[in-house]
Amino acid sequence: MNQHAPVRKSRLDRSFDRIRALEEAGALSSRVHNRSLRKFLSNPLASAGVIMFLIILLTAIFAPLIVPYDPLKIDLRALLQPPSAEHWLGTDKVGRDVFARILYGGRISIFIGLGSAVAAGVLGVAIGCISAYKRGWLDAVVLRVSEVFIAFPQIILVLLLVSILGQSLINLLLIFIATGWAPMYRMVRARVLSLREEEYVQALEAFGISTPVIAYKHILPNALGPVTVQITLSTAAFILAEAGLSFLGLGVPLQIPTWGNILNAANDMRILEQNWWIWLPVGLVISAFVLAVNFIGDGLRDSSDPTQQG
Amino acid sequence: MLTYILRRILLMIPMLLVVSFLIYLGLELTPGDAVSYMIPPDLGGQISPEQMEAIRESLGLNKSFIERYFIWLWGAVQGNFGYSLSGGVSISQIFLDRLPATLELSIAAILISTVLGTALGVITALKRGSATDITLTIGGMIGLSIPDFFFGLAALSFFALELGWLPVGGRLMPGYETFWDRLPHLILPATVLALSLTAGVMRYSRAAMLDALSQEFVRTARAKGLPEWRVNVLHGFRVALTPVIVLVGFRLPFLIGGSVVIEKVFQWPGVGNEFVSAVRSQDYPLVMMIALLSVLAVLIASLIIDILTAVVDPRVRL
Repeated sequence: MNQHAPVRKSRLDRSFDRIRALEEAGALSSRVHNRSLRKFLSNPLASAGVIMFLIILLTAIFAPLIVPYDPLKIDLRALLQPPSAEHWLGTDKVGRDVFARILYGGRISIFIGLGSAVAAGVLGVAIGCISAYKRGWLDAVVLRVSEVFIAFPQIILVLLLVSILGQSLINLLLIFIATGWAPMYRMVRARVLSLREEEYVQALEAFGISTPVIAYKHILPNALGPVTVQITLSTAAFILAEAGLSFLGLGVPLQIPTWGNILNAANDMRILEQNWWIWLPVGLVISAFVLAVNFIGDGLRDSSDPTQQG
Repeated sequence: MLTYILRRILLMIPMLLVVSFLIYLGLELTPGDAVSYMIPPDLGGQISPEQMEAIRESLGLNKSFIERYFIWLWGAVQGNFGYSLSGGVSISQIFLDRLPATLELSIAAILISTVLGTALGVITALKRGSATDITLTIGGMIGLSIPDFFFGLAALSFFALELGWLPVGGRLMPGYETFWDRLPHLILPATVLALSLTAGVMRYSRAAMLDALSQEFVRTARAKGLPEWRVNVLHGFRVALTPVIVLVGFRLPFLIGGSVVIEKVFQWPGVGNEFVSAVRSQDYPLVMMIALLSVLAVLIASLIIDILTAVVDPRVRL
């Protein structure tokens, strides 16, 4: 054996040496101990997503501290003004400050997107978990009902319900929840159906633990990873849906400022051609917010998937 | 194979019955008498209450709800969808007028997005981790996040209003008859729709291709010494194509419903635009019928997907 021969270090060896040195100096141990949180934070896109999300959310929440204008106040002396130091993003057809409307509109749009995604998620999880665990007639009925909901293309079902229920903020929330619970339910159901065959569940049953406790306390936590991802992605989808519906004039009633309602002004060809500040910035804000949510969703998917180590 | 297809079709029928029943229930519960949209409106003024009663009698409106439902269903199967509340045009006529426009737009968009999306997806999968891959993947995420109608508005304002290269909207101008005459009108909406669909196809086919390339038979093919392009195309891409077919198949219902918002942005006279006006004017018979037909389209699309996957993958047939 040529143990004593001088070892020629390759570049890889040198970089391993450096890592080893750092490790011994204790510089590599992270302060964040939760593995999935650490993984999430080390994903640059997910971190960028969180930052963008927080910026837009906080500016919307603290809107009164940022702009002095009332988003509803009509000012007939300042119609269709281009951006200036006074009105950062100009004014619209009736003299309302566009920047103020974007910030205040964000409150409603984010509330609708996040609220209906979370509510649809909770509903889908609550039904899916117990019905998949108990099986029997309840499971069969709910499964058929969800199939009916999924048979409709989403936009068609939403518009159909809007035509029946009429337009209002609450109705829109209810309609989004009604159209959004089925995919969540089916995902949770599929997950719980495989988990209920696990041995720890049999052990719990043998101990005589009640059905709801097994379903919600012991099975549900193991099915939650994909659900949080799905909730994030539906938040993005619902924000896009609200914008689309309000653009058509069929979403939130026009007097309430939302991102979609601000874009509604672009239905007018003259505004589209001459007053870019009314529709372009708000469209970019919607895109940025949805992109942030999609980055977060992708990051969550990677960090909550235990089959991907790292 | 034949029994599989037959079984799939039989499974579709109860679903259609349930949905059509719900739609009919909705029609009965929404305001408006069934008779009022079953008779052509130009005769409306001349009909006396006795005659109305006679029509009720002859249409069987004094029969029970379930009987009426089956009579209505039988009519719908034969193509009699009733009349729209506004304008009083028969709904089947509206479909005949609007469907070609929607088909033209969505077929163009689905073709472009499928070809472009699969190509980009395969390229990013083959160059996994490279700068091209990262740029295109992030680009895809951005594409998924921009509202399609906002993208449409921006394209409209730049290419049609600012540069004046393409028409602002609409489909048929008087005097323009052939496909080539109306092609300029199609370019903008079809490209916008296609690009907004491409991101999804790209993400999906990238994942499918990566999955296919990690399979053992690909390693075997490579170990046999096949040239790299043959491994990628004949072994990788062919397998990756199945999930992509499924995704594109799920887009097929689009052919009926159309992209509602894009049609509105470009004033495209398709089914989607008609649906929006129907919802706005609370024209329930029309709304319900378009909804019913789009459900039919979804069910037929999923039937086609199942048959195609069964053809490609024999294990499904069992």
